[in-house]
Amino acid sequence: MERPSKPLRPAPDEPLSAPSVVVALLAEPGGSTAQRSEQALVRLGAEVEVSVHATAPELVRQMRSGGVDLLVLDGSLGDAVQRVLAARDPDAPPALVVAQGADEKLALSVFRRGAADCVALGPDYEEVLAVAALEQIQRFRAAAERGAAERRIRWLERLHEAIVEEIPAALAVVDARGRLVTVNPEFARCFDAPPREVVGRRFQDVLPETLRESGAIGRLIERAAAGHAPELRLARMRDASGERAFGVRAQRLDEDRRVLLVLAEVTLTEALTKELATLRRFGENVIENVNSALLVVDLEGRINYANPAAESLLGEKPIGSLWRWFDGALRERLVERTLREGVRFRGAEGLIARGSGERVPIGTSCAPMVDPDGVRRGAVVIFQDLTEIKQLQRQVLQAEKMASIGQLAAGVAHEINNPMGFIHANLFQLGEYVQDLARVFEEVQGLRKAAASGSLGEVARAAERLESVASELDADYLLEDCAKAVRESLEGSERIRHIVQDLRAFSHPDGSERSDADLNECLDSTANIVWTMMKHVVMLTKDYGELPPVRCFPMQIKQVFMNLLVNAYQALEEAGRGRERPGEIRLRTRAARGGVQIEVEDDGVGIPSADLNRIFDPFFTTKDVGVGTGLGLSIAYNIVKRHGGTMRVDSEPGVRTRFSIFLPRDGGEVAEEAP
Amino acid sequence: MSGAAEPPVLLLVDDEPRILSALQRCLRREGYEIVLADSAAAALRVLRAQRVDLVLTDHKMPGMSGLELIREIASEWPGIPRLLLTGWTAEITPAEARRLGIRALVAKPWEDADLKARLRDALAGGAGEGSRP
Repeated sequence: MERPSKPLRPAPDEPLSAPSVVVALLAEPGGSTAQRSEQALVRLGAEVEVSVHATAPELVRQMRSGGVDLLVLDGSLGDAVQRVLAARDPDAPPALVVAQGADEKLALSVFRRGAADCVALGPDYEEVLAVAALEQIQRFRAAAERGAAERRIRWLERLHEAIVEEIPAALAVVDARGRLVTVNPEFARCFDAPPREVVGRRFQDVLPETLRESGAIGRLIERAAAGHAPELRLARMRDASGERAFGVRAQRLDEDRRVLLVLAEVTLTEALTKELATLRRFGENVIENVNSALLVVDLEGRINYANPAAESLLGEKPIGSLWRWFDGALRERLVERTLREGVRFRGAEGLIARGSGERVPIGTSCAPMVDPDGVRRGAVVIFQDLTEIKQLQRQVLQAEKMASIGQLAAGVAHEINNPMGFIHANLFQLGEYVQDLARVFEEVQGLRKAAASGSLGEVARAAERLESVASELDADYLLEDCAKAVRESLEGSERIRHIVQDLRAFSHPDGSERSDADLNECLDSTANIVWTMMKHVVMLTKDYGELPPVRCFPMQIKQVFMNLLVNAYQALEEAGRGRERPGEIRLRTRAARGGVQIEVEDDGVGIPSADLNRIFDPFFTTKDVGVGTGLGLSIAYNIVKRHGGTMRVDSEPGVRTRFSIFLPRDGGEVAEEAP
Repeated sequence: MSGAAEPPVLLLVDDEPRILSALQRCLRREGYEIVLADSAAAALRVLRAQRVDLVLTDHKMPGMSGLELIREIASEWPGIPRLLLTGWTAEITPAEARRLGIRALVAKPWEDADLKARLRDALAGGAGEGSRP
């Protein structure tokens, strides 16, 4: 920024010698004065350019545009000559006035107006003009060169002054005896040493002792004075603002061994450097030691950085393209969303193949990497090994499922004990029937023996005994009932087989990947199981709509349904005591935008509004000890959430409770976040 | 209890016909007159219409449960011994059974000999802690 008092312009760099000589001639073009003058000037050399002007303003314009070395003015033009002379400033080129013969009056008036010479238009005019012109041009050129050099020196002086004053470094010139010759304002500011008070004093008395000693400034100055190349030292001092650091240099200025001492404060720079180093170390420590794998990739998916966790998770140092590990949906999502559109996403799950070929379940979050100018450069990819978490999740799910099954046990036991009851009784009876029939068969054998003996009397007696035993034991009935008892028992065992099969469907866990499931089927098979325990108290209404397949862990979804159904059943059971009509559970499924909607509604006791926002909390239960784990709804809620869905509940105490679940078709394979 | 000449009338109540069928089979030779009902409501109709000397009822049934039927009998026909057949013993506590004058809890699956003995005891006015008003 320029300051009005000391304008600092770019260095003047006008040429000290012009390539050619330019003469501006004021004369009537084509007139004899013009012709003779041109002939005279051409003698000076081929590089002379002469431009002829008929009027003063024309010539003045050329003069002011610069580059003119000499003015030759035809004195006979009178006023025009006076005007040209009047228009000259002190730096203007010299003017020669051509006089018609010896014109004293003209000569006097033009000399007074600054003309350099008067040349008479005599017979030797050409020679005289050439000599006069050459002299004037040389003199003008020399003056111009001097002026330019002076301007340059003045400019450099100003530049020097400005630098010394403005530079954020303390400068001091120290003479051979160690006395301060001059200091700049920054020196005064830094060391609280006004120039008037310190000039002439020894630098040791002016500079703080700690600074002098820490930087060995005395030695630095001595070495500089002895002509050693400048070297940089770091010096420290302490004042009210704390510790300050300076970079110190010294350089010999002249033969008198005067030395320029430069002290640049680096306190802030040093602090920033330290802070930067701390930050970098912090960042490195975090990134290197965090348990999550962290990769930085460019826009093409090439790995630029991988932390140790990434290396150990992948089982090798990840080099090259990330797509070797991230394929399928993971790669697609990362490329399309994060690298192309700059969208951050998190919680995406997938499988990656380790170096050993083993597939590892991971959860990953990706964020675009943007440089300070806002240009997208790639992405930061963070992922964790979910193997253990998945195992724990499966264990919790399995445990809760077992607990739910425990709750089902009463109903199921009843359902099994009914057929067991009559099968057992029937088998016992069949045993007695066999004994009775064996008695009848004994008589049949007797009859056969009698027939073999050939005695009619024997035969008649045996037949009578047979008849008597058969009627005593009601053999016809026995045979008939035997068949019936077997038929009924087989039917009962078939029923038990069904129940056990249904239960088995709940005891095996899901695989590690989602599959497409028909949620109507999931809901229906679950309802059938739970139905065995509730059919005596509950009416079940099914209203199933057409549903698209949903990508999910079907066993987990079945568990959600089971938990809701058991919950509804318990609400009905509680309400049902002393109630005339049976309770009702209504199941309703519908396709919804982007997924499916499933509702489980009961007209049981309902949930007090105070409990509504706690029912999904783990271990919240209103049931008696041993009836509920307090985990059922919480687990259901979490399963739904993990599938990217939502679960809502609304309830009117004493009237009804409705759980509504929404599940997206992709089963929440990836959870996204706005950028 | 009625005169010796007339066989005791047993009312068997269960919504499961196979159970009734098996019970009948089991008690075929016991010299009882057996009446069947497939619900508590049907049982109440029988009780109102004829003499019954003992009621053996299932608990879990659609509509009115076996316990509710027993409660009804306890108040309407307190002299009739009543036995509860249960699929799952936890359905009723012994204290509740005593309060309702239940002579015996019979769990499914039952042992024929055991069932027969309990029925005989109940008809004889023995075993069981039911109060007889």
